[in-house]
Amino acid sequence: MDEKEFERLLLSVQKPGRYSGGEINSVIKDKTQVDVRFAFCFPDTYEIGMSHLGMKILYSQFNSRDDIWCERVFAPWVDFEEVMRKNNIPLFALESRDSIKDFDFIGFTLQYEMCYTNVLNMLDLAGLPVRSADRQALSPLVVAGGPCCCNAEPLADFVDLFFLGEGEEVDLEVIDLYKEFKKKGGSKQDFLRAAAEIEGVYVPSLYDAEYNEDSTVKAVMPKDGAPKTVKKRIIKDMDTVFYPDKFVVPFIEIVHDRAVQEIFRGCIRGCRFCQAGFIYRPVREKSADTINRQARALCDNTGYDEISVSSLSTSDYTELEPLLNKMLCWTEKEHISLALPSLRVDNFSKELLEKINHVRKSGLTFAPEAGTQRLRDVINKNVTEEEIFRTCRTAFEGGYTAVKLYFMLGLPTETDEDLKGIADLGSRIIDLFYSLPDRPKGKAPSVSISVSTFVPKPFTPFEFEPQIDKAEIERRQLYLKQCNTNRKVSISWHDSATSLLEGAFARGDRRLGQVIEKAFKKGCKFDSWNECFKPELWEEAFAECGLSPEFYAGRTRDYTEVNPWDHLDYGVTKKFLIAENERAHKAQTTPNCREKCAGCGAACYGEGVCFEKR
Amino acid sequence: MKNVRIFYTKTGRMKFVSHLDMNRLMTRIIRKSGIPVWYTEGFNCHIYINYAVPLSLGFEGVYEIMDIRLTDDSYSLDKMLERLNAVSVEGIEFLKAAEPVLPTKDIAYAEYELTFDENGFFDDLRSFLSRDSVICLKKDKKGRMKELDIIPKIKKKEFDGKQIHLTLSAGNEGNLNPALILNKFFIEAGREPLFYSVKRLMLFDGEGKEFI
Repeated sequence: MDEKEFERLLLSVQKPGRYSGGEINSVIKDKTQVDVRFAFCFPDTYEIGMSHLGMKILYSQFNSRDDIWCERVFAPWVDFEEVMRKNNIPLFALESRDSIKDFDFIGFTLQYEMCYTNVLNMLDLAGLPVRSADRQALSPLVVAGGPCCCNAEPLADFVDLFFLGEGEEVDLEVIDLYKEFKKKGGSKQDFLRAAAEIEGVYVPSLYDAEYNEDSTVKAVMPKDGAPKTVKKRIIKDMDTVFYPDKFVVPFIEIVHDRAVQEIFRGCIRGCRFCQAGFIYRPVREKSADTINRQARALCDNTGYDEISVSSLSTSDYTELEPLLNKMLCWTEKEHISLALPSLRVDNFSKELLEKINHVRKSGLTFAPEAGTQRLRDVINKNVTEEEIFRTCRTAFEGGYTAVKLYFMLGLPTETDEDLKGIADLGSRIIDLFYSLPDRPKGKAPSVSISVSTFVPKPFTPFEFEPQIDKAEIERRQLYLKQCNTNRKVSISWHDSATSLLEGAFARGDRRLGQVIEKAFKKGCKFDSWNECFKPELWEEAFAECGLSPEFYAGRTRDYTEVNPWDHLDYGVTKKFLIAENERAHKAQTTPNCREKCAGCGAACYGEGVCFEKR
Repeated sequence: MKNVRIFYTKTGRMKFVSHLDMNRLMTRIIRKSGIPVWYTEGFNCHIYINYAVPLSLGFEGVYEIMDIRLTDDSYSLDKMLERLNAVSVEGIEFLKAAEPVLPTKDIAYAEYELTFDENGFFDDLRSFLSRDSVICLKKDKKGRMKELDIIPKIKKKEFDGKQIHLTLSAGNEGNLNPALILNKFFIEAGREPLFYSVKRLMLFDGEGKEFI
């Protein structure tokens, strides 16, 4: 591409820094000296994709090998896409600006369902057929990883191969196998058949789906010697697994513009709505020494003045106190602020608060998720009202005046009383503030309540539950708003428009592929962006295929029904999910992994919390 | 503590980095370099950096200036430049450093080099710039549109091949962006705006001497 022409085009769009490349720590290699070129694609904007930790890990790990050059690709925003299409610029990788069409691998990370049209659009922008069957050469291979792969069926027609679970080992095994095939000139079919023998690799074209008369799945059957079930991969030792010592540091501001240090994978809690809490099991921790060493290197190599520890539930890390003491030794001296997201209300202490106060005072956010104890028991949140109040009290006495609370709307068994409970809780936290003699003076308290819409996901105890429809979501939102009479409590929510689609894709089967393709051809993209979401086009696409999102999202699923993802094995057994679903309906809680093993099935990996002494 | 003025370039891909993003980038480069830099002591402490004249998005600059403070008076400025360059990105090169001579408010003019793909319209542009007055609309700091005569703000103009060198009023008061002139010209001439690249070559004080 002509450099000058490219510059002229870049200067005609918003935020040219999204496409310019050349950031600190981006990796440039000689393309004639590598065997495998890997385009790591994040199907959303640069600012979102660059905030994603998984991409940073795999980018650095692939590039640590001399024979692989991994480059980054993001979905161009609509203004630049228009410029690209008008000027015949194919989708390119940021580092080399080469068209990704000639790469060996095009790898997508699937972090949320609403990115699916972007996957198709990016393949199309690259000049490739979107359907796997129409790409006959060995390369480029279109592969995908990430949490959505636990039910990848809606994308089964487009992606050649899915990675289930954690990628650090299995991705490289597949790349090595590919190298052999490339060298000997093997066919794509033969390669995919061989790859399917690697644990954690799911090749959808090697499975046929059959359906019952009522449109539910009858079976997903393997062929050509593919395994009957595909089991996800996990990393066994978190202290020796690869972790980057540098991140690419963007020029433009991104969503999470800071160093991020992973501290453990998985979650001991088992909140029944939370997919991450089940598909990332079992819990495996890094040692405090490893974390401290890696975090320090990251700060040194990026120049970031903020570092955040990352996990599903920070305060559940077993060595949190010693870890913070270690890290504060150097972060304070170097003017680095330490962020601790994902704190729980039930183990939040004054000491912890003082530690986060050391550098910069940010807001405090907690997630009670439901407004009444009954509903919190149904979802197994295992947080009591007393704990919520104690935490708020600690925060107020520590000088905070603003608290942010996350809730979900539309949870199974939710009633208007539960919604009223959300508003009441907010109001009572304000009352608590004024009852404290030690409260911060001179500033009014505020409670911001953020409410998202619950979407049932596969591999959770709620995978059998119906999702409430749009009208009911709106009624409940309005009701909740009316319940709040306290002016110091503000309630906000996410738009409900995409919830139904998200729910349909989350638990959809491979027939949805034609719907996605139709919607993409009608111009759907960036569906998670309000300004781009076009519900009427999606309605048309579903109607033309004779399918409905309600069938996938709005129906109670029998325990005996075959789910579209039943041939994928994430460790957690269906038997366990059924038992948990039954307990939910009886409002019975289940102790966390450290208190008592619930027998979920994740112990089959032979690692982690399942084998800790209790 | 000592004040240090650093002269650097912002070229190539760096032209796509806006001023706000540039500030973040500089902070990170300085942090990575490990030089003994002074942090402000406010509620939100940060590295003290004062930029002489911000550069527009899309422009290159080869005489960019920022002032910082070092906490170690004896720290060698050569060593500082070496360390900054070692961790910098392509397009930002730290050229020289010295104690500031003039305050940045003394900056009065900036010289820009505009490069076009063609020069057939240069005669028209020359006569446009030779008028007694050309009134443009410009947003002031409060966002109100204000009328502004650009002619008195053009100190020097030279046409050379496909390039134009313009020396324009610069600084906190009365800064004139060359794009404002060209936009006005293309509109008045009824032409499709042409693409051109802009490079800021030099900053001058009120007497027309290189700003140091």
